[in-house]
Amino acid sequence: MPISDGHKSGHAADAAFKGVSFFFAFAVMALLSAIIFVLIKESWLSIGKFGLGFLVSSTWDPVQGVFGALPAVWGTVVSSVIAIIIAVPISLGNAIFLTETAPKGIKGPIGAAIELLASIPSIIYGMWGLFVFAPFIAENVEPFMIERLGFIPLFRGAPLGVGMLPAGFILAIMIIPFISSVARDVFLMVPPILKESGYAVGATKWEVIWKVVIPFAKSGIMGAVILGLGRALGETMAVTFIIGNSQRISLELLNPGTSISAALANEFTEAVEDIYLSSLVELGLILFVITFVVLAAAKLMIARSSYRPYSGGAR
Amino acid sequence: MSEKIVIKNLSFFYGKKQALKNVVFAVKAKEITALIGPSGCGKTTFLRCLNRMHDLYPGNRYEGEILLDGKNILDKGLDLIGLRSKVGMVFQKPTPFPMTVFENIAFGLKLNGITNRGEMIGRVEKALKDSALWDETKDRLFEPALSLSGGQQQRLCIARAVAVEPEVILMDEPCSALDPVATAKIEDLMMELKKNYTVIIVTHNMQQAARVSGTAGFFMLGEVIEFDSTHKIFTAPANKLTEDYVTGRFG
Repeated sequence: MPISDGHKSGHAADAAFKGVSFFFAFAVMALLSAIIFVLIKESWLSIGKFGLGFLVSSTWDPVQGVFGALPAVWGTVVSSVIAIIIAVPISLGNAIFLTETAPKGIKGPIGAAIELLASIPSIIYGMWGLFVFAPFIAENVEPFMIERLGFIPLFRGAPLGVGMLPAGFILAIMIIPFISSVARDVFLMVPPILKESGYAVGATKWEVIWKVVIPFAKSGIMGAVILGLGRALGETMAVTFIIGNSQRISLELLNPGTSISAALANEFTEAVEDIYLSSLVELGLILFVITFVVLAAAKLMIARSSYRPYSGGAR
Repeated sequence: MSEKIVIKNLSFFYGKKQALKNVVFAVKAKEITALIGPSGCGKTTFLRCLNRMHDLYPGNRYEGEILLDGKNILDKGLDLIGLRSKVGMVFQKPTPFPMTVFENIAFGLKLNGITNRGEMIGRVEKALKDSALWDETKDRLFEPALSLSGGQQQRLCIARAVAVEPEVILMDEPCSALDPVATAKIEDLMMELKKNYTVIIVTHNMQQAARVSGTAGFFMLGEVIEFDSTHKIFTAPANKLTEDYVTGRFG
């Protein structure tokens, strides 16, 4: 009987498909667990020797074999926070312009240009930062900054062109496309009828954007920002080029510093002793945990904002 | 009764597509005027001409005149913000802003230059009372407006519209997302509102039009087929098309 045959083979294909898709999904999980396992195993030596002190010690002395993560963690967090502070207003401005005010003709080109920023390899940013940007600001911006804003400790330091602040600036350029495009999607989800309601009570465009669109999109915007933060935290090449690679903590942001990924990129080849290598791997583990938590938080926020039924009807 | 709005040869275009053709009629003050007709006939398009909502989107074009108290609101240099505080609107779905109940109403008041806290509180209370929502919300003023039920949200939107004391209130199928109980409340509210406001309502619900309105206009394919007292439209329409529609033969 052809009909039941068809059914049977259908069942078999279905089961096979289920199995295959389960296998692939499982493979991803297995890979993730394997990475975590290896990171922990390889850093075990360092975890055993330095314990929790590793997280709060600022000594990084390969000669003595004493290591602490604080300068690298500090640099990672500070450079990323600088990047966020610079990138968020620009990205939100972009997203609002593209969704609310841009004339049709230039929406496409500007949107495409922003997305193109994301497709530039990070090593190019690093080289541009080191060979073009750093000399330029060392010559023209930093001396001026120290002179005029030097009363704030944050704007002091050696005017080398490389350092924490320049690294944050390059990172900002790199994360602008991510924050912009997610924010743009979030703004597009604001129901037109809600904006019209704003206009209907006599609000101007500015008031509608500021009082209606942004509050409505708030949690989605937070998600976009944290997504950008996640990218900034893990960025390696560009930061390695321009952060200065100095294992020290300084509140003066023009000074060179380091970040976790920059330390890894720079020092892996020199790490001959087991404890050195193990400490570097532990740094990697810390970075993994930080980015994992940050990205999970971002996913959660974006999910919550997109699942917000805006139908007053049946409740 | 005086004429609040006079429409003279109004045509409207979405880009090249004509959506309204030579609409002519006059809306009486302090009465409910219902606009009926099949989907896509232009009644919502017409309603959105009255507060120039179409201006939010590029490529739309008006022809003819709409006189509000004798002044043409289609004039090029017209102050749209001023127009919209005179002509309020309630939408198909409840559209509370993402803020508290109180702030939802205060929003429009602030835009209209009311900054005195005491006056603000008084006006919010009055608007909620006028919208038959005060008893249900007086203990929840500082909760998010989205926590209200659908019917309450829609009455909040009406309160928001009346708070700024407009002269005309436009309602675009205000009950289409509501259950019969909430619908009945809104209809009662409309009857109250017409004492002070000129109300124009678009509805797909024939019974609703018959229940609440004094005058009715029947739209089809962008034209006004018939415009007359509601009683006449529903009992003795002059046009065969109107008769077919109100008796449910198509639509």
